[in-house]
Amino acid sequence: MIRPVVCLPDPILSRPAALVGPIGESARRLAADLLDTMRASSHSVGVAAPQIGIARRAFCIDVTGHRKASSCHGEVVLFDPVVLASGPSEVGREGCMSVPDLTGDVPRATSIVVRGTDVEGDLVTVEADGFEARALQHELDHLDGLLFLDRIVADDRVFRRRVYR
Amino acid sequence: MTRVVVTAFGPDRPGIVAAVTGALVERGANLADTAMTNLAGQFAMVLVVEVPEGEQADALEEALAARTAPLGLTVVVRPLPEGDDATTGPQTDGRSAWAVSVYGADRPGIVHQVSALLAQHGANVVDLTTRTVGSTGAPAYVMLLEVTLPADRDVEPLASDLRRLSADLDVEIHLRPDDADVL
Repeated sequence: MIRPVVCLPDPILSRPAALVGPIGESARRLAADLLDTMRASSHSVGVAAPQIGIARRAFCIDVTGHRKASSCHGEVVLFDPVVLASGPSEVGREGCMSVPDLTGDVPRATSIVVRGTDVEGDLVTVEADGFEARALQHELDHLDGLLFLDRIVADDRVFRRRVYR
Repeated sequence: MTRVVVTAFGPDRPGIVAAVTGALVERGANLADTAMTNLAGQFAMVLVVEVPEGEQADALEEALAARTAPLGLTVVVRPLPEGDDATTGPQTDGRSAWAVSVYGADRPGIVHQVSALLAQHGANVVDLTTRTVGSTGAPAYVMLLEVTLPADRDVEPLASDLRRLSADLDVEIHLRPDDADVL
């Protein structure tokens, strides 16, 4: 079912989400809702459970056909994901369905290895790079109550360096 | 909703933002979009402010000036015309976003020539920051812009003209897409 996307300033976006645990009927329904909601928004490449009002550690991504994608695993749903490894970071501009109108420059690891549980309840490991790695990190942040606003570096701004005499 | 734009600037010191916004809160005003920065020791602020119905720009200006007098600020308040931009900010729908960076030896006219060329091509400046850096004997100039172009506009003529201007002014000019991905 397509769920309405929760937007700022809803506090659910700022709270760490709870573990899903063993995969049962409610987790499978959550996976279906995440995918339906993502597919319904042509410009979205990922949705995390808190964004549809459910404070659980689950998200889906799909970078298929995105011009910046290098690795691509198609539609991925992960429960209780953990980061096993990540590479050097690079700044890119991001927006978020839950933060209308704004975008910001955010550093993200250019490669990442994430392990989680899939809808079958199997442990899976996803190795991603480039845009898919960025999408994974953006969704992982949602599970920790973080928005891209919490990670912005003002890459397009310059500041005077302090001079010590 | 009534909106005004408040411009204030004066010698930088702690408490300017607190004083100006305090005076606004006292009069029942609510801040919308703002930009504030320190330029050469002057703290400059531009604030879009929602004010209670019936609040007059002149009266608000007087109140702000009185309240911030110890800070030596120059304060100007003007009514903001109602319209789409009043609620949504710069129109970016249907336009593509581009970042332009310009840097080189300082000389008069860099900002004017770059911005005049952008205007000729229908590029709208959304944000612009410039800084003079380096030694006083050989200062360098850095200019960063965010501009938008009509989405159906071919960017190559602008890119080509910018390359020509880069050679004429002997400064580096780079144009790159400023596109964000919604995740």
